[in-house]
Amino acid sequence: MSAVDLHAGAPGVDRTAPLARANPVAKLLAATVLSLGLLLTVDVVTAGTALLLELACLPFAGLSLSALLRRGWIVLLAAIPAGVATAFLGVDSGAVLLAAGPLSVTEGSLESGAAITLRVLAVGLPGVVLLATTDPTELADSLAQVARLPHRFVLAALAGTRLMGVLAEEWQQLSLARRARGLGADGPLGRVRTATGQVFALLVLALRRAATLATAMEARGFGVSTERTWARPSRFRVRDGLVVLGGVALTAAATAAGVLAGTWQLTLAR
Amino acid sequence: MPRITARGWGWRHPGRLAWAVRGLDLEIEHGERVLLLAPSGAGKSTLLSGIAGLLDPEDGDQEGELLLDGVPAHRARVRAAGEGTGHAVTGLLLQDPQAQTVLARCGDDVAFGLENHAVPRAEIWPRVDAALADVGLDVARDRPTARLSGGQRQRLALAGVLALRPGVLLLDEPTAMLDPAGAAALRRVVADRLEATGATCVLVEHRVAQWLDVVDRVVVLEPGGGVAVDGPARQVLADHRAPLTAMGVWVPGGTPTPPSRHRPAGQQVLTTEDLAVGRRGLTAPVLSGVDLRLDAGRAAALLGPNGSGKSTLALALGGLAKPDAGRVVAGTTLADGLRPEPHRWRPPELVRRIGSVFQDPRHQFVASTVADELAVGPRRTGASATETAVRLEELMERLRLTHLARANPFTLSGGEQRRLSVATALATRPHLLVLDEPTFGQDARTWAELVALLRGLLDDGTALVAATHDEDFVAALADEVWQVGAGRVVPEPAAVVVGR
Amino acid sequence: MNSTTTQGRRQTPRLTPRATAVAAAGVVAAVLVATVGLPAGASLFGTSLAELTVPAAVLLALGGLWAAGWMSTTRPRWRVVDIVVASVLGVAGGFLFVAWNVGWEPISRTLAFFPPASGLLVGVWLLPGVLGGLIVRRPGAAVYTELVAATVSALVGNQWGFATVWYGLLQGLGPEVVFALLLYRRWGLPTALMAGVAAGLVAGVLDSFVYYPEFGAGYKLAYVGATMLSGLVFAGLGSWLLTRALAATGALAPLASGRDAQRV
Repeated sequence: MSAVDLHAGAPGVDRTAPLARANPVAKLLAATVLSLGLLLTVDVVTAGTALLLELACLPFAGLSLSALLRRGWIVLLAAIPAGVATAFLGVDSGAVLLAAGPLSVTEGSLESGAAITLRVLAVGLPGVVLLATTDPTELADSLAQVARLPHRFVLAALAGTRLMGVLAEEWQQLSLARRARGLGADGPLGRVRTATGQVFALLVLALRRAATLATAMEARGFGVSTERTWARPSRFRVRDGLVVLGGVALTAAATAAGVLAGTWQLTLAR
Repeated sequence: MPRITARGWGWRHPGRLAWAVRGLDLEIEHGERVLLLAPSGAGKSTLLSGIAGLLDPEDGDQEGELLLDGVPAHRARVRAAGEGTGHAVTGLLLQDPQAQTVLARCGDDVAFGLENHAVPRAEIWPRVDAALADVGLDVARDRPTARLSGGQRQRLALAGVLALRPGVLLLDEPTAMLDPAGAAALRRVVADRLEATGATCVLVEHRVAQWLDVVDRVVVLEPGGGVAVDGPARQVLADHRAPLTAMGVWVPGGTPTPPSRHRPAGQQVLTTEDLAVGRRGLTAPVLSGVDLRLDAGRAAALLGPNGSGKSTLALALGGLAKPDAGRVVAGTTLADGLRPEPHRWRPPELVRRIGSVFQDPRHQFVASTVADELAVGPRRTGASATETAVRLEELMERLRLTHLARANPFTLSGGEQRRLSVATALATRPHLLVLDEPTFGQDARTWAELVALLRGLLDDGTALVAATHDEDFVAALADEVWQVGAGRVVPEPAAVVVGR
Repeated sequence: MNSTTTQGRRQTPRLTPRATAVAAAGVVAAVLVATVGLPAGASLFGTSLAELTVPAAVLLALGGLWAAGWMSTTRPRWRVVDIVVASVLGVAGGFLFVAWNVGWEPISRTLAFFPPASGLLVGVWLLPGVLGGLIVRRPGAAVYTELVAATVSALVGNQWGFATVWYGLLQGLGPEVVFALLLYRRWGLPTALMAGVAAGLVAGVLDSFVYYPEFGAGYKLAYVGATMLSGLVFAGLGSWLLTRALAATGALAPLASGRDAQRV
């Protein structure tokens, strides 16, 4: 699964595009503002406007539409059921379109369903873009230097990610070993059991290696003093501020559109 | 170059009853090169961790003192990190190459230690480049670490350590998980750097012969106790040959392994017809046109450089991988009523006919006690409870695992795990045994036991295929050598290869 | 010859006057709310505040107790091995999330037509937090592990994108509160189960607010009940069993959980 290869450059992504080059924390902030703003309401206009504006920004991120679809197909696939569920089980209002026992689709619930689908897409998109254009080491550097998160945790998490990434190779060895031991062609239940055993074994190996990695990191001075220099500087520039402002502007525009259309309503107070 | 002093030093890990080390008195002067020997579990790694300053007295129980130039080791480490000069007092290199790579790019990984020691950015990258050059790693700064071989990875870790210009270099079995080429490269680099910097060195290793030029002093530890023997390297090795060999140390000039006997060939067990094998994700097969033949009671060794396809071929022969082209054909006795291609056999059928032993024994563990582990194979082939019990007893006796019957396989020592993995392969009495690097990282004692066991199996008529780098193993056991390289496999009689 | 032995530091929590005051304040506020009641005019989640009096009182009391627990426990510092192990567990949890997304998504999609039932699968999302707490046994371990898991799953790509990270933070707080209430000293099965239930509660409430705000109160309650049960089984019982199995392999030896398991 190429998605799991966190360290290879993402194919189809132009890393020199302005959004891609921005500081990861800026991208994170913009994405947060967007998600929080969009989560305040359930209406088609706000969500739809936000989605359209985001898609318009795609060229600035250096992502082609096909690359977006490739990385974000899960978002697409999940937006539908959420919307459908809402349409059938949401609070009903307006004319009844379909009814079958407790399930009913009304104009109101259908609109809510559509709104939910659009909202999931609009909230998910910035995440996909963020992660397609950011390298994990760069992300960690910026989280520690710009966002000032405790560097011990950020760097250890980065090292842990790398360690788990290469463990994927051992998975194949574990599968072969199980076949060699006579396990594995048991029918679905047996296969689930073998697979669980395999996951457990991988976890044991991972933890053992984690302990050794911790020793190696400590031996190179990690975690001793709070003073630390950074070989790869991460700075928050004007351009990054603009990215954040862009996120705010996008959210504001979508919200304004919703208010103007009269559909925007704060979900909290009902 | 600090002076290392241990006075009555003892350490007990948190949560343990027994002391790892106790009553240790040791003095190591600047620039000395010491080889540390001890039976397994005797606290060698604990001592190295102690000198490296990684053992926090608030976390475990400490007795006596362990000082670097008069300062307790733990404090010395903390102080050096805080000073900002980018000089560490000690540098530690561990055994597992995979577990020492911290970051995803080579340059970043080497810079990691320098960052932790608050070296100014302007100084970091020149030092990174110098360290990479010192260890002979000709890689760009942004080369992904995932693409390095084991040997390269160890040298990268060493670069990360050496960039901090430590006064003491601590090496904990650094070549144990490397192939001979990688190990040789690492040894050369270590010898070079010790010459250049004059640093003190404390080394734990059991393949002693190759390090004799580097070390001048040998210290032997007692299990859970202090120093047993201490003196100049060659003298200690000569005077204490027997006890050291018993400990599993590869004492140079020790008893030579008896040459393999030529066994009469039995029935045909396995042949390959124009076989081609490849790795997942590669379009072209890594080996092709392979025509081989193995008879009962014979042992074949697969020799060849890393990446030549030995392991892939071994997997195909063991019925674990589908060939890209051609066939692996099992003889009538081996196939025993099934169709001749092993990769088509269902796992319970496969386990009764072919036993596979993997390079890392831990990959093969599927149960939570040693006894259950051994019972898995027989149970899968439908053996009755009494039969299984009998076979279990027999195997545990033979491989000295009886006292470990209730232990969890992951808690066993390296040698015990190796014995267990071989035992599990034997539990179903297969006619063919396929081994991938069976003597990898093993000490002399386990090695000797393994060779004796496999000899016995060969005499009983089992056929053997082993992918290996170990030339002593080939000399002791193999009847034939299958040379793997440049996409082809060339069979030759072992006597010819060993004679070279 | 110096033969003093330095013992490892043994820590005992003590209840300071300030912590006691905070706990008392929480309990008093709770009693006040319970007796006086909340204004019926305002509303939240489609139900009037008056109906939320009891839950609000309970929340206040628990909040006070938790704060007192956090303040009075002597918090052992995280060692590097603790952080790295928690990170690895978090990343493993992230991979679990991804596999769960891709592999089981079809199943949960059919259940999505009856949201209360889909709540029964939510426990899987809560497992890393409880597991991290049980294995690493440091304050903040549950939150950190769950957070890392959520971040990794967002990195690989999922249907919630960046919102997952905030979810992870809050979902980790559920078990964290339980561990803190027990002063970070109790790590047995009852603790694990309670932590799982707490995680399920948080997840259920969050989901009701974010994903199904259009549903009626009845459905919402059923959903939260399902998530709590799921949390109990997957996150609570599941984590506890997994921790025991891991401890048996010796993989937890350098950690607090391995240490207390046996003096061997």
